[in-house]
Amino acid sequence: MVGAIDELITELARLPGIGRKTAQRLTFHLLQQPSDQVSRLAAALTGVVERVRPCGECGNLSEVEQCGICSDPTRDGALLCIVEEPSTVSVVEKATSFRGRYLVLGGRLSPIDGIGPEQLRMGLLRRRIEAGGLREVILATNPSLEGEATSTYIQQLLAGKGIRVTRLARGLPVGGDLEYVDGVTLSHALQARQEVS
Amino acid sequence: MRAERIAARGFRNLVDFDLTLPPAGAVFLGPNGHGKTNLLELLYYPVLFRSLRGAMDSEVTRFGDSGFQLELVVRTPDSRCVVGTTFIALGKRKQITVDGVPPERRIDAVGQWLAVAFLPTDLALVQGPATGRRQYLDRVLSLSSPTYLRTLARYRLALAQRNAALRRGEFRVATAFDGPLATHGAGLVRQRYEWVTRARGWFADECERIGEPNTSAADLTYRGKEELIDPERWPLILAECAGGDQQRRATSVGPHRDDLVLSLGGRSLREFGSTGQQRSAALALKLCELRALGERQTAPALLLDDAFAELDRGRQERFARRLHESGPRQIFVTTPRLDELPRPLELPIWSVRDGTITQAGEGVPS
Repeated sequence: MVGAIDELITELARLPGIGRKTAQRLTFHLLQQPSDQVSRLAAALTGVVERVRPCGECGNLSEVEQCGICSDPTRDGALLCIVEEPSTVSVVEKATSFRGRYLVLGGRLSPIDGIGPEQLRMGLLRRRIEAGGLREVILATNPSLEGEATSTYIQQLLAGKGIRVTRLARGLPVGGDLEYVDGVTLSHALQARQEVS
Repeated sequence: MRAERIAARGFRNLVDFDLTLPPAGAVFLGPNGHGKTNLLELLYYPVLFRSLRGAMDSEVTRFGDSGFQLELVVRTPDSRCVVGTTFIALGKRKQITVDGVPPERRIDAVGQWLAVAFLPTDLALVQGPATGRRQYLDRVLSLSSPTYLRTLARYRLALAQRNAALRRGEFRVATAFDGPLATHGAGLVRQRYEWVTRARGWFADECERIGEPNTSAADLTYRGKEELIDPERWPLILAECAGGDQQRRATSVGPHRDDLVLSLGGRSLREFGSTGQQRSAALALKLCELRALGERQTAPALLLDDAFAELDRGRQERFARRLHESGPRQIFVTTPRLDELPRPLELPIWSVRDGTITQAGEGVPS
């Protein structure tokens, strides 16, 4: 196959959820499009790489030194939500009325993959703790084994600092059917059941 | 439960084939090194979707091939299902299917096909280190209970993460994994104790049936910290081991350190048993596996890899009688010579030569 085509297929196939066949289909699709449309895609890709950086305060993605959330004076700086990835910030922003600030760790503890606290943004967290003024930290890491361990590690860091530490509840999806819920989720939901009367 | 049809491509030295299997099973006859054990390995593969010899999928792939594919049609008295695996060596991608559909998790496909394999290496269960006996326990319990398999996977991950952190000298990170280690570890220890309590009687009974007459009573016990059944006790126990764990850079307490103790007349079979007694105990353990799996499903199939060759005449006969008495089930046996097989195991004979399987003749059904 022509070098440039093969190169694009290889690069597309590196993306999550895209196998070599899909990468091939995408490449041939792009080759059939008007060149200005493909150029816009190329420019968008270059733009993202050149302009988007992690926010210096929270690690969220931003085109400026301080992201929109960190520079918004109406947000509650004493309420900090810790997440693993920037994608979680947009999910929480879209789906909830949360008005605090975030800290994006950039991953989760996974020593077998060589990811320890130094590979995450624990430095930013320490800075936020030392700066004072934190009232509550919400641990919103993923409910995976590594996500839970990351939360436990942060919980230990915050111990004795007089900061309220909470974590997201585990339970049933709204609109779901109990019949299809997996056993672990159901057992969490049963343990964390709430008083209704 | 029986295997009705098996098809394979690119598996070890076996020439690609698609065969209907006899309901009673078959004897795979052929010279050593021609593929008999590979055929048994193939038949066992869909039990846990991995090699029974502990080989990696890339090693199971025929030399020079891009991967392997297998399909097994399983028939039970009231159902029929097709389990399949496709492995692509490039990128080490494996897809498991049940009736053509990939299950949500691999664990969901386990249990569709059940078999117990008797291998010449089984003697290591009694003579060898604790690792083999723990693997035995984990296999039997995983196949008997889907919750055990899930708990085991989570425990192993928590342990691997904790140990990796200890190796990196990050003790605080290591302790962050103590929670899941305790939850899942306690689940494993509890289920292992419960199983051993139940299997003790089976083990003594099987040893009595297979071993030499008038020998002392055999026993099976679990060696571990019983308090680890309670996840609440784990923090204290892990804290007590903290110094040693940091020094050794590994977790020193938990079900991954426990053992199964086999004894005869109160004396350890591993240390004091004769080779004959040890062989009987190894067979007895496998017969316990057969009983355990039989409790959950219809009779699992038997895969016997040259299982009679090392036994003396008396043990051969008692073992064959025992298998015969265990009820009707599909049996596949490998042997280089027909005269090594005891009479009650006469089955249709299939020849395996240079990886090619052909029906050689009909024997008397078992």
